[in-house]
Amino acid sequence: MEEQLKKIENEAQQEIAQAESRERLEQLKVKYLGRKSMVTRLFTKIPVLEREEKAKIGKALNLLKQRINFFLEERAKNFEKKEERIDLTFPPEKINRGIKHILACVDENICEIFKNLGFMIVEGREIEDEWHNFTALNIPLEHPSRDVFDTFYLDLPVSDYGGENKGGGKYLLRSHTSPSQIRVMEKRKPPLAVISPGRVYRPDKVDASHSFMFYQIEGFCVDKNINFSHLKGVLFSFAKSFFSEDVKLRFRPHFFPFTEPSAEVDISCMICKGRGCSVCSQSGWVEVLGCGMIHPEVLEACGIDFDRYQGFAFGMGVDRMAMLKYRINDIRLFYENDLRFLEQFYEV
Amino acid sequence: MKFSLDFIKEFIDLDDSSQSIASRLTMAGMEIGDFEQAGGDWIFDAEITTNRYDWLSMIGIAKELAALLGKKAEIKIPRLIKEPALKEIDIIIENKNDCPVYLVRLIKGVKVEESPSWLKQRLVNCGLNAVNNLVDSTNYCMLKWGNPLHAFDFDKIEGNIYVRRAKKGEKFLGLDDKERSLNKNNLVIADEKKVIALAGIMGAKNAEVDENTKNVLLEAAVFSPLAIRCSRRDAVLETESSYRFERKVFFDYLELASAEAADKIISLSKGKFCGYKSKGESVCRERIKISFSLSKLNDYLGIIIPESEVKTILENLEFTITKASQEGIEVEPPSFRMDIQREVDVYEEVVRVYGYEKIPLVLPFIAVEASRGIYEFKKSLRNFLVGLGLKEVITYSITGEKFLEKLNEENVIKIVNPLRQQENALRSTLLPGAIDVVRYNLNQKSGCLRLFEIADIYKKGKDSQGESFREIFSLSLIITDKENRIFYLKGIVEEILKFANVENYAFKEKGQINFTNALEILNNDTVLGFLGRLDKDKKEGFDLKEDLYFTQINLEALCRQKKDKIFVPFSRFPFISRDISMAIEKKKKFLDIEATIKKEAQPYFKKIEILDTYEGKNVPAGFYFLTLRIYYQAGNKTLTSQEVDAVHNKIRDILTKIEGITLR
Ligand SMILES: [Zn+2]
Repeated sequence: MEEQLKKIENEAQQEIAQAESRERLEQLKVKYLGRKSMVTRLFTKIPVLEREEKAKIGKALNLLKQRINFFLEERAKNFEKKEERIDLTFPPEKINRGIKHILACVDENICEIFKNLGFMIVEGREIEDEWHNFTALNIPLEHPSRDVFDTFYLDLPVSDYGGENKGGGKYLLRSHTSPSQIRVMEKRKPPLAVISPGRVYRPDKVDASHSFMFYQIEGFCVDKNINFSHLKGVLFSFAKSFFSEDVKLRFRPHFFPFTEPSAEVDISCMICKGRGCSVCSQSGWVEVLGCGMIHPEVLEACGIDFDRYQGFAFGMGVDRMAMLKYRINDIRLFYENDLRFLEQFYEV
Repeated sequence: MKFSLDFIKEFIDLDDSSQSIASRLTMAGMEIGDFEQAGGDWIFDAEITTNRYDWLSMIGIAKELAALLGKKAEIKIPRLIKEPALKEIDIIIENKNDCPVYLVRLIKGVKVEESPSWLKQRLVNCGLNAVNNLVDSTNYCMLKWGNPLHAFDFDKIEGNIYVRRAKKGEKFLGLDDKERSLNKNNLVIADEKKVIALAGIMGAKNAEVDENTKNVLLEAAVFSPLAIRCSRRDAVLETESSYRFERKVFFDYLELASAEAADKIISLSKGKFCGYKSKGESVCRERIKISFSLSKLNDYLGIIIPESEVKTILENLEFTITKASQEGIEVEPPSFRMDIQREVDVYEEVVRVYGYEKIPLVLPFIAVEASRGIYEFKKSLRNFLVGLGLKEVITYSITGEKFLEKLNEENVIKIVNPLRQQENALRSTLLPGAIDVVRYNLNQKSGCLRLFEIADIYKKGKDSQGESFREIFSLSLIITDKENRIFYLKGIVEEILKFANVENYAFKEKGQINFTNALEILNNDTVLGFLGRLDKDKKEGFDLKEDLYFTQINLEALCRQKKDKIFVPFSRFPFISRDISMAIEKKKKFLDIEATIKKEAQPYFKKIEILDTYEGKNVPAGFYFLTLRIYYQAGNKTLTSQEVDAVHNKIRDILTKIEGITLR
């Protein structure tokens, strides 16, 4: 009996060692351990053996079974390695992902920062009248500053806003988002803190830095004790959050008809860290936005008493902010919608 | 505006470095973009804000520097000689509003020569060309005082001088050798026979000073800023002169500039002063007094500036302090500061000299009403669409009327003053932007586009607030492919409707102009939008390399119908499915079959899946084969096969009876 077992083991070992495929191994498994195999048959004989023999043969058979299984497993490892070898240097599958337009993203990010500071988001509309776009903002017809806010006029009947005395004037495409803010101030009483994002339009010939349509975000805050130091605090907080913790701000006196005092704000050039480079024309500073204390004429045009309330306002171009942050050198890229441009951004 | 440091030094002693001058001016509101050395001189390039017309002169800049550095500017006042009176010609001003004052000085016997080098240097370093001793003298005085002057060849003037509006079609050949046809927007200087200058902008060739000029008439005037602005825009011509007139010039310096220019001409060209004439009058603004309280100033700025400092700053800026008491300070702005109107203007003067950088950074406590507006809705929708794998585009709101006409759009709002004809209308649909972006990207060899845009569309017609137009914020889905993607598009739209959680949405087959296989998207009876495939002829007309599947949804309407989501319990009992195959006549609608099954399968209906549709061999003409899998499930128990079979067989029976359906 023992000899017989030894013979089976040797045969099995030899045949398994010569097996050249997984299929062959399956066949050998059936041959040596299957229902009709010698090993199984020998197991069936155990009950008729003597008590002593029973234990001895049973043990030997089990051992044989284990060893054959071991040969099979060992041999199978050879085939596993061969079959599963993959060239993992192949490129990954292309994942089709959705993408927000980078301008929408920057717009949302800026609004979010101001929202966290306590501002409310109000969009307003793009077709506006002269009263809201100019007059209420202290921009008189004859003033050359109207040039800056050059405007597309529309073939709509004249606005009857405010009745005869006020006169809404002609309809136009808003040249800034300030009209939305005027509308909020007309309707609601202070305290107010509003941020107005949206599309604006100016008849500029399209080139690398001009577009007849672009995105703007303006904000204002009016309450009893709001002052210039708050304007500086809010904008600094924004710049740190949007650009970087170590950004520096510079407030330069400037002129806007709707604010007094007015300022232009520069940030320290992120490319040269203030040492001077071509982006900042060697000055170390890059202009990012305009701001100031809201002109009393503007508050009064909206029915807010200047003796009781004062406030600040600011405005920035979203396109410009995006161009500065991501070093995009041509504004036209935003509106061309080339997938090779859009797909570069992973911002959310 | 360019200015020369040497020129400034004619009026003020300066030993500061050009770097420190540039930064001092920049931080006081005169932004110096650039400064560079030119020989021994320094040339500064300054951005002058529109309110500071007093800075459009060397004297103005010298005064500003003096105030900033606590120095004094020395301005020599030229002799004002007005005798003898000019008899040869008269001046007739048509409208005092266009030209409140016009005065001339006649100098005879001049010799036209090149200017001395110091004079040429001044002009060149300030960005002007040197011409001859006469013209250069007028330009020098313009730069110095800020008042533009003009020299005519007196012998070329025929009769009296008129300041009037141009007649329609009147011709003007300028010193730039360009001929322009004028109209009533142009204010001109004319003699009896011809236009001799585009007032305040440029002289005419026909009265130009040249090498043969013997007698010269020197013009000094004040023109209405608005008149000059309109005229300059109409003629598309901007000059140093128009730049200054548009921003206002001082009456105060008018005589001085004229007198000094006459002096210069006489001394440089050996001429003789022969007459003076002036028409109209200088309208000097009443000097105003402004009072303010120091505490209000400090509250406004969020800073504490000592009273003495406030006073010093204002005095350096040539303000007169007329009163200073407990109640407040009263000041009189200098005559050249017509821009100072009220207390806030004074605050700005104080703080811009004191230094914006000294104001601290303080965060206010802001508490306003919280709101979830349309912006938030758009933002979450944007996030949702990105999650569906769509890419966002932003296209122009302005398009061409012709483009919209091709799309059969009506009630289009047009731009009165477009830049170009292809950008002369507001889009009444998001389709033009979609077509542009699709064509562009397909031409760039990107295909199978999956895009969306969120933007406004505009139409003429009354809106709910009685305005004469509507501005509707909308969503477009832009899908292109070589295969039929209408059901993908329908799927995305359905996801959006589920996102908005509108109650009873439905798709209705309805023809849509420009589209084939169009569906209207409804909720109850409100039309939310449509979807469809762009017509083949349109696709070819617009040169698109793939089919365009397009949706436009009125987000305003969708947003209004949006419902909050509430959790719906679901059954955890197993479902059982049964398949059913049939031949269906093509004119039958799947929606009706589905509705029948749904109705009959209640209360055990879970869902229907389409396993297969087939047309072709063995299918009777006008029919197609459809195999469905119906899933049955109960909310409160495990269904048995017998229960399901009972329902399923009932459905089979009912379907068999329907004309146009044969079960297989
Ligand atoms: Zn730099």
